[in-house]
Amino acid sequence: MIIEFLVNAVGLGALYALLTIGVALLFGVLGLMNFAYGELILAGAFAMYLFRDQPWPFAVLMAILFSVVVAVVSERLAFHPLRDADPVTLMIASFAVSLALQSVARMTVLPRTKGVPPESFLSHRIEFLGADVSVLDLLTLGLCGVMLLGVAWLMGRTSLGIQLRAAAEDFRMASSLGVKANLVIPAAFVIVGVLSAVGAAVLVARQGSVSAEMGLQPMLIGVIGAVLGGMSSLKGAALGGFLLGAATALLESLLPTDLIAFRDAFLFSALIAVLVVRPQGLLSGTKVRVS
Amino acid sequence: MVLRIEDVHLQYGSSVRAVQGCSLEVGEGELVSLIGQNGAGKSTLVKGIMGEVPVASGSITVNGVSVSDKSYSTIRAGVSHVPESRGIFASLTVGENLRLGAVTRKDKAQVAADIERELERFPVLRKYWSRGASLLSGGEQQQLAIARALLLNPKLLLLDEPTLGLAPIIVDLIFDVVVALREEGMTILLVEQNAVRSLEVSDRSYVLQAPGRVLGSGTAAELGRIPAVVDYLGFSPAEVGAPQ
Repeated sequence: MIIEFLVNAVGLGALYALLTIGVALLFGVLGLMNFAYGELILAGAFAMYLFRDQPWPFAVLMAILFSVVVAVVSERLAFHPLRDADPVTLMIASFAVSLALQSVARMTVLPRTKGVPPESFLSHRIEFLGADVSVLDLLTLGLCGVMLLGVAWLMGRTSLGIQLRAAAEDFRMASSLGVKANLVIPAAFVIVGVLSAVGAAVLVARQGSVSAEMGLQPMLIGVIGAVLGGMSSLKGAALGGFLLGAATALLESLLPTDLIAFRDAFLFSALIAVLVVRPQGLLSGTKVRVS
Repeated sequence: MVLRIEDVHLQYGSSVRAVQGCSLEVGEGELVSLIGQNGAGKSTLVKGIMGEVPVASGSITVNGVSVSDKSYSTIRAGVSHVPESRGIFASLTVGENLRLGAVTRKDKAQVAADIERELERFPVLRKYWSRGASLLSGGEQQQLAIARALLLNPKLLLLDEPTLGLAPIIVDLIFDVVVALREEGMTILLVEQNAVRSLEVSDRSYVLQAPGRVLGSGTAAELGRIPAVVDYLGFSPAEVGAPQ
């Protein structure tokens, strides 16, 4: 029972951490609160629907391709011309990109919710550390955990990661040392594209459906988790997302059945309480580029 | 000349003119200091050299390239800047901060040797190599900022208030490093409020008065013969020892 709960809670925490890193990375590097993040998830989810009859790993690869392409194209067309704009302009542009992509999806390929039958192997249950655990929960934990480790390696061990972290902290100083905006900004969008695609693959597997609006909730989770952890710190954002996911799983396990519907009310009340004590988030960074 | 500034006017936005008609030169291998009180326009001039404040009129050229050229890049021009704020990345370790100084260099083997050279120069950075840069003291952060700037192997090093707010023992250490760099042949523009120490170590100095006008320039002895400079500084630069 405890192992089953832990796999579920840590898995959901890892998924939410993945979503929050995507939000915090672009906020740090570009000063962009990207509300179009949900549509990157939508692009990946649509690929999961389109290739639902193909082997699952192939569909995931296609989801990564779709999300990365949408991320890079949106950067090139919408955000690149606004690179020196103030954060409010960038945020409004991201709203426009979000609504445009969602509308296009609704008018063309996703006028209504489409079912994506779960892969048969995902509905199995297996014995894990002596407990009976669903493969879907294990996959969520494994895939998101591997992605988080990958992000940690990229950010901590590679030159690109160091440049990204420096740019997220002080873009002007990083530029004066030779960190190229034309490298770090597209790279951040590619990373965010990959993260959102993996998030989409897991979400589609858990929900069993795809709709034009499906990116909204994970985008909000990303924003809330990042605010909770500290927008100016990638580690903080990951922690915030993880705690949000783990708390969600905890409430689902502990709340009586008739109170489960009010789960988010409990969750966000706790979030407000945390932010009253630490308005800067759990781990605040030192500085954020805001213009 | 490595740096040539001719009758330059710099302004923030459309009205605030922080530098008016400043001219100065820094030759290869020279250590030139820019001294003056708070608000004299010293840091604005440095920002002008970095291309961060637009040139309203006059010209700034680094190794013959105008900073107003669209193609101007401080990296290509070989300019390393140690800003007044030090510009240390607090979320990075000391080692990562240092590696960032050589991010544009392709000669990776030589970079490793140059990092070793800076660790010899600043042993405290070797000691704290894996430590978060935010945990360093002000003096240690300044050493890190200078070491990082030197990893670009610059043709011109801009040091903006490198001793501001530091303990006297660290101020001595920083000036010792500046003197050592001059002896290695580095071209340096040193911006300082500590006029006495700057005059002591510099080949030549420019005394700047708000809004960015040169009150006088030359060696300490030459500046001592300019009454306006003596009056502005409150002492005669001629009484300060010449560089060793």
